[in-house]
Amino acid sequence: MRQRSSTTRLYAICIVMVLGAAAAWTAHADEPARDAPPPTKIRDLDYGDVLFHFFQDDYFESIVRLEANRDFNRLKNHAAEAELLSGGLYLSLGLHTEAERIFDRLLAGPVAPSVRDRARFYLARIGYQRGYYEAALRNLGLIGQPLAGKLEPERRLLEANVLMSLGRYGEAAQRLESWSDTGGWSNYARFNLGVALVRAGDTARGRQFLDQVGTLQPVNEEQASLRDRANLALGFALLQQQGGDDPAVVLSRVRLDGPFTNKALLALGWAEANANHPDRALVPWLELQQRRLLDASVQESLIAVPYAYVKLASNGQASQHYRSAIDAYARESRRIDESIAAIRQGGFLDSILATVPQGDRPGWFWQLEQLPDAPHTRYLYHLLASHEFQEGLKNYRDLRLMQANLSRWTDSLEAFGAMIEAREIAATEREPRRQEMLSGTDLDALAQRQQELADRFAQVEANRDVAALASPQERAQWEALARIDATLAAMPPGPQRDEFTERARLLRGALSWELDRAYKLRATQTRRDLRETRAALAEAGTRLAAIAEAGDLIPRDTLGFAGRVNELADRVARIAPLIDNTALAQERALADLAVTELQAQQKRLGSYSTQAQFALASLYDGATAGGGR
Amino acid sequence: MKPKPHPLLRVARLLTVLALLASPIAAMPSEGDATGLKTVDQDVQTLKKQLIDLNRDLFKLEEELLYPASTQVAVFLSMNVGTFFALDSVTLKVDDKEVANYLYTEREVQALHRGGVQKLYLGNLKAGSHEIVAFFTGKGPHDRDYRRGTTLKVDKTVGAKYVELRITDREASLQPEFVVRQWE
Repeated sequence: MRQRSSTTRLYAICIVMVLGAAAAWTAHADEPARDAPPPTKIRDLDYGDVLFHFFQDDYFESIVRLEANRDFNRLKNHAAEAELLSGGLYLSLGLHTEAERIFDRLLAGPVAPSVRDRARFYLARIGYQRGYYEAALRNLGLIGQPLAGKLEPERRLLEANVLMSLGRYGEAAQRLESWSDTGGWSNYARFNLGVALVRAGDTARGRQFLDQVGTLQPVNEEQASLRDRANLALGFALLQQQGGDDPAVVLSRVRLDGPFTNKALLALGWAEANANHPDRALVPWLELQQRRLLDASVQESLIAVPYAYVKLASNGQASQHYRSAIDAYARESRRIDESIAAIRQGGFLDSILATVPQGDRPGWFWQLEQLPDAPHTRYLYHLLASHEFQEGLKNYRDLRLMQANLSRWTDSLEAFGAMIEAREIAATEREPRRQEMLSGTDLDALAQRQQELADRFAQVEANRDVAALASPQERAQWEALARIDATLAAMPPGPQRDEFTERARLLRGALSWELDRAYKLRATQTRRDLRETRAALAEAGTRLAAIAEAGDLIPRDTLGFAGRVNELADRVARIAPLIDNTALAQERALADLAVTELQAQQKRLGSYSTQAQFALASLYDGATAGGGR
Repeated sequence: MKPKPHPLLRVARLLTVLALLASPIAAMPSEGDATGLKTVDQDVQTLKKQLIDLNRDLFKLEEELLYPASTQVAVFLSMNVGTFFALDSVTLKVDDKEVANYLYTEREVQALHRGGVQKLYLGNLKAGSHEIVAFFTGKGPHDRDYRRGTTLKVDKTVGAKYVELRITDREASLQPEFVVRQWE
């Protein structure tokens, strides 16, 4: 009976390990930077600008620029990619509903198969994160080609996790077994496969995979943590079997300074105790006792140590440790009361957030380095491991960042308002000058004059009237010759008149020759002058029209901008209190969650205390019956 | 005689150890808590969407108000491979007036390497001819300090003017190359 209970529980451990693996995977999957779009030749610079912020994990700025530039029609050469990216960005920012809507819309339209496959992958991920496993599996099944880059191993891992979530462990194992990828995901795959096989009843093969992960040479903290987790899982699988390989060997591989150390030390003690080595069990358990009592494994060790002493027949020491444990549990329970009271007072989320690095990026990928040993944060370690609490906390942080964002825009909107007002004043001041210019310019008269000149030149050209293009000097000479002709006509005939007439003829001939010679050049020049005059008139017309239009537009533009500023200021004013209220609601929801967790911890301490008291009573009974020892 | 612990005590302890391992499950919210969190999450999602839309409209207003298309000039910076040059900073001058002096973080340089394009400068210019000069500072081949300048004459017309400063690798000489290109 006892064995069956522990067996059942050991299976429960495996379930926990599966969940743990899924959580580890989810943490990665929430990092869209890993889902970077495949390298693309930038054909719209503004799309590159969106990517510049995206690659820095600045998802909020990235989505704002994407949406704005799309409205400006500046992303037309990357329309499908931008749509896909926007879905990914909304997903990263926790807007699952919006992301799902975008991916569904993408799939409804004509898009490239690669884009379609990625959209299906993201939809599958959303489905998995939100517990819609069948839908997730359906979307994964519709992916036609291997995905680009790191998404393909992630897709395979997601598929295995979905299958495991559906209880289809055999299929999950089958998918993972054929996986030859040696990239970063393969260790997670091996771990998951090990767990899946154990859960599917194939313990021997499951142990094999867990052992592979448990003996890997870690190159970073992430791998070291996974290695610890695999050893812990394997250790408990061996504990469950009893009589097989020594679990202590595996559990000893867990680091002494990692997140799983305390659990491993506790389990190692039980492994030794089960092997009838209570003296060896004392080694890890006494080590645990030196650690912070905040940890549940340490709390457990307080009664594990006297249990070992009992096994070693050192009842005196056992009694002493049981009494110390009872006192410690009572102290701890009082501290939990203090914590519950502190949390209910409010502000505990701000205390938690005060421990994280400063930054103004709302996203999911910041880490809580360490929690302060204050009443409201002391016991929240386990709570922070839960997905729901993390999501809630991130939401709270995003809300605070939104408040800061709105505050900045409020200042900007005030500046915009002042600027528009100044523009209006400037436009008003310019108005008299503008009116003067408009009324003092008669473009129609100038155009008419230009046309008259053009008509006249056309006649000159038709008649080849070379004299019409004479210079003023030549014209004067021509007129002088005409006057001389008249004078000569009045002179009496004779040699003198003949001589003068001949000289006048020569002069007229020379002038005519000169006019004729210069005519072609002068006609060309005149033609060009007329053309330039026409262009200058047109330009003047455009400028005058622009001045006239500016007068109409400037007040209208400033009024238009003023209207937009007012409308946006109204929206800011409407949203600001909503953020405050939602942040408060979020804090209350998380406070309830924290208090529930603390009460569970308190209940566990009560249970330990009862066990200690019961054991102590048994010792006293034994001592009384046996005459004392 | 050694007192024998009650067998149930041992089972209870083992169960406690195992329950302890299940602590992530224990830490999961109860149904009521989860419902509360989901409601808040829905509210947060709605709010975030409203805020993104608001920021989009504010972004558009700011640009249209401060940098109308008729005078707008935007200078972008991109990097193609960039193995021969580690970018530290860029100084940008327009008509001999310094308009931007940008010092890059490692994160930003990585974003450029991955294909991002930085909008380095957004400003206004009158119609006509202008000179844009960019100075790039960083580490060149063999980790040596490297400073290069590049110049472009632009003819600003009625529409917005886009200029791209591009850092590329010149494989033949194993040197970086700085190219300026106008976009229409």
